Amino acid sequence: MPGLYVHIPFCVKKCLYCDFYSLPGAQDKIPIYIQAVLQEAPKYAGMKFETLYLGGGTPSLLGSQNLPTLVNGLKQIFDFSVLTEATIEVNPESATPDFLSVALECGFNRISIGVQSLSDAELKSVGRIHSTTHAIAATAAAKAAGFANISADLIIGLPGQSWRTLKKSLTGVIAAGVRHVSAYCLSLENETPLADAPPPNLPGDEKQASLYEKARDLLQANDFLHYEISNFALPGFESIHNLNYWRGGEYLGLGPAASSHLEGIRFKNKTDLDAYLAFPTRQNIEVEQLDIKHKAEEEAILRLRLLREGLDISFLSQKYGIRFTSEIAQKLRAMKDDGGIVGEGNVYRLHPDYVLTSNRVFTALITGM
Amino acid sequence: MENIRNFCIVAHIDHGKSTLADRMLELTGVLHTTENAQVLDSMDLERERGITIKAKSVRMPYKSSDGKDYILNLIDTPGHVDFNYEVSRSLKACEGAVLLVDASQGVEAQTIANAYLAIDAGLEIIPVINKIDLPNAMVDECRQQLQDSLGINGKTALLVSAKDGTGVKDLLEAIVTLVPPPQGDVSEPLKCLIFDSFYDSYRGVIPHIRVFSGSLKHGDKIMIKSTGQVHEVDEVGYFSPQLTVAESIRAGDVGYVGAIIKKVGSIHVGDTIISPDFPDTLPIPGFRRSQPMVFCGIYPISTNDYVKLTAALEKFQLNDSSIVYEKESSAALGWGYRLGFMGMLHMEITLERLKREYGQDLIATMPSVIYKVYTTDGQATLIDNPSKFPDPARIDHIEEPIVNLRVIVPNEFVGPIMELSDAKRARLVAMEHPDKKRALLTYKFPLAEMITGYYDKLKSVSRGYASMDYDFAGYQGGDFVKVDILVKSNQVDALSFISVRESAQTKARGLIHKLRKLIPRQMFEIPLQAAIGAKVIAREDIVALRKDVLAKCYGGDITRKRKLLEKQAEGKKKMKMVGAVEVPQEAFLLLLKMEE
Repeated sequence: MPGLYVHIPFCVKKCLYCDFYSLPGAQDKIPIYIQAVLQEAPKYAGMKFETLYLGGGTPSLLGSQNLPTLVNGLKQIFDFSVLTEATIEVNPESATPDFLSVALECGFNRISIGVQSLSDAELKSVGRIHSTTHAIAATAAAKAAGFANISADLIIGLPGQSWRTLKKSLTGVIAAGVRHVSAYCLSLENETPLADAPPPNLPGDEKQASLYEKARDLLQANDFLHYEISNFALPGFESIHNLNYWRGGEYLGLGPAASSHLEGIRFKNKTDLDAYLAFPTRQNIEVEQLDIKHKAEEEAILRLRLLREGLDISFLSQKYGIRFTSEIAQKLRAMKDDGGIVGEGNVYRLHPDYVLTSNRVFTALITGM
Repeated sequence: MENIRNFCIVAHIDHGKSTLADRMLELTGVLHTTENAQVLDSMDLERERGITIKAKSVRMPYKSSDGKDYILNLIDTPGHVDFNYEVSRSLKACEGAVLLVDASQGVEAQTIANAYLAIDAGLEIIPVINKIDLPNAMVDECRQQLQDSLGINGKTALLVSAKDGTGVKDLLEAIVTLVPPPQGDVSEPLKCLIFDSFYDSYRGVIPHIRVFSGSLKHGDKIMIKSTGQVHEVDEVGYFSPQLTVAESIRAGDVGYVGAIIKKVGSIHVGDTIISPDFPDTLPIPGFRRSQPMVFCGIYPISTNDYVKLTAALEKFQLNDSSIVYEKESSAALGWGYRLGFMGMLHMEITLERLKREYGQDLIATMPSVIYKVYTTDGQATLIDNPSKFPDPARIDHIEEPIVNLRVIVPNEFVGPIMELSDAKRARLVAMEHPDKKRALLTYKFPLAEMITGYYDKLKSVSRGYASMDYDFAGYQGGDFVKVDILVKSNQVDALSFISVRESAQTKARGLIHKLRKLIPRQMFEIPLQAAIGAKVIAREDIVALRKDVLAKCYGGDITRKRKLLEKQAEGKKKMKMVGAVEVPQEAFLLLLKMEE
């Protein structure tokens, strides 16, 4: 069943590494933005969703007034009767007890906190506006508010980061009771301040790789399952919304720059808040409809990201037809022989030692247009 | 015959030869408007680089001011330094030469070289100063330079602007009055000089000829002097500039002969066509098979494209018979061809044309000259491929080809040029001053050093002012070693190179260092080594790739991420597998740029 994503393109201040569509200091537009989203949504009225995800930007900037308006509005338009997971991303400094309890009342049952690090120096180095204290407090507040499913985002490879500081961040969030950790390697995205002027103490690939491996080992030692390249969860706490992405599932994205995947077609909204506010229903661009073979390849590389579940080639063949998947199967077998992936019956998985060099596997599987 | 004038235009590159030819064609009514057509340069690349590769000729009817009708045959000459011999053959077909000098540039190295070739061929020289319309034209200086560097009376030089047509009419008059008419007897046995040829898919190889004696018509039998092959003439005619059939061509004429000569390699510039009835007719002196001087291997990126490459080369040779090629195989690169060229520029242009015209994605290996390798058993072998060098223990000594190189350069650049040339093991033979501002440096220059980027550097250190010309001088001994390159213990034969012993290690280190930067990190560590025999003289390691992953992949950016991967996959297709290592094509071009 599809998932629903709503983009909240507002933040207090852009982080130095961020290339998501988010506008700092435009919070006064939040009320009209919510109205715009509620105008776009009826285009897809009646759709039934299993998951809801409010991402950003900084969704916690919506505050206790706007959040219910948005969610109640969406409830009028869509069928949330089988909604099993509703996630809201929050930033530590704006995740107040008041806001968190409103979120819970609105029906959110999962909180994703942008902790990033439990080292103030590291947070500062990438322009985060919160502190370690905020992060710990936000986690505690989420728990106190009654959230059982809390996730923390951490960044691997922050300027000046060492295993000592990363370990502190990891053990800190585990001790605070999070059930899910997303640990992303910092990447320098084009036209971000960090890419334009990378600090000299930025860990290189080698260092990042070793930090990643140590982080993985520590999380696994604490019963977290490494279920996706950058995601770890205690059993039963995997992100259902995100799993749907990695299984090639369908989803609707609302708001500027939000992407959708419906009836096999991928499209996204224009990355322009003002245009969106003016004509919320006329923003679809970059419509992409792949042919069956490329669609099967796309799903194959997505599913291989799921390190535990893996890619079941017989499932893929049933879904797309064996004539479009036989080349994939053949390549998988070849890569099994050279050690890049492991295979168990029909199920193929990335080799644990080569997760960080998995582009080799992915590039081998996709064919040009 | 009295009213025929056979002439050519010789000039330094870019001095306006093709434009002048266009104006002549217009004035004589052969072409109406050319609009910069540069009829003689029909290949795109020629026009781009301003170089005429293939010689062509054209026949122009001309009514002179005295009211008489003339036939002017303009024989074009290849305009670049690699084709010295071909130029000399074209000149041999003429009685006169227009020596063209760019008024803003003055006499350059090729002006001198070509002028001497023309003087040696006994031609009447008509000095012409071109581009007089330019604001920086220095007519008086040019006159003086003609006098000083060539002993030609500069005062008699005609002033022309080929661009706007000024003086071109006077030049045609001068050709009529000054260039002697051809001599030769129609009643004598047939004797023709082949100065060029082209391939027509229906009629085979069509030689361009100058008839020195006798005549030719449809149905005649002809014999190629050097091979004794006999053919029946199918068609004769002139270039106007397209092929125009004539009943016959006779002593003094310039034209073509079609005789269904299907084998491309059977016609050589400089050869003589005679009548089989008079097989003892003496050949026109000076014929030699033109020998390629520079060799390189070419390989398809994908081994599947080998058949395509073969077809492309076969077709290519039809248009440029100076290229020789034979199959070769490289352990690293698979099946390919070894190509021989007249020189470096010829090589560059040919490779570019192969890529462009035939859509071939190619790896071209380090160019090599022909070394004379004397083995301990007293044998001398000519070797054009470093990977074919015998075991060092079996080598007694090695000789390399040397050229006479002439460089003309403004005085202020003499220092840098000498420094550059010294680094290339060149030996300065003479320094003269053709005029007050410039020097003429004459070197004995190792050809091997010239083909690794000397020309480009010469141009860059002189800010484009230096000009050069060279011809083959012979072989000379030296202390050479063969350096092998090993990638993860696999010897990459296509990267082997020959060097003088004393600079081998420096070169090897430079190459290994560049290779390390160029070969992408892979799943395993890759040692890169350079070795002379079993002795390793340089080593660097490429550490294993630790991170190449799309860590973040959400719903939002799946299309974008897939495109990133596609781009990466596209890049991989251009890699060549050496053992288990993916090596980018550029690696094989590195040797070319090794010393930069």
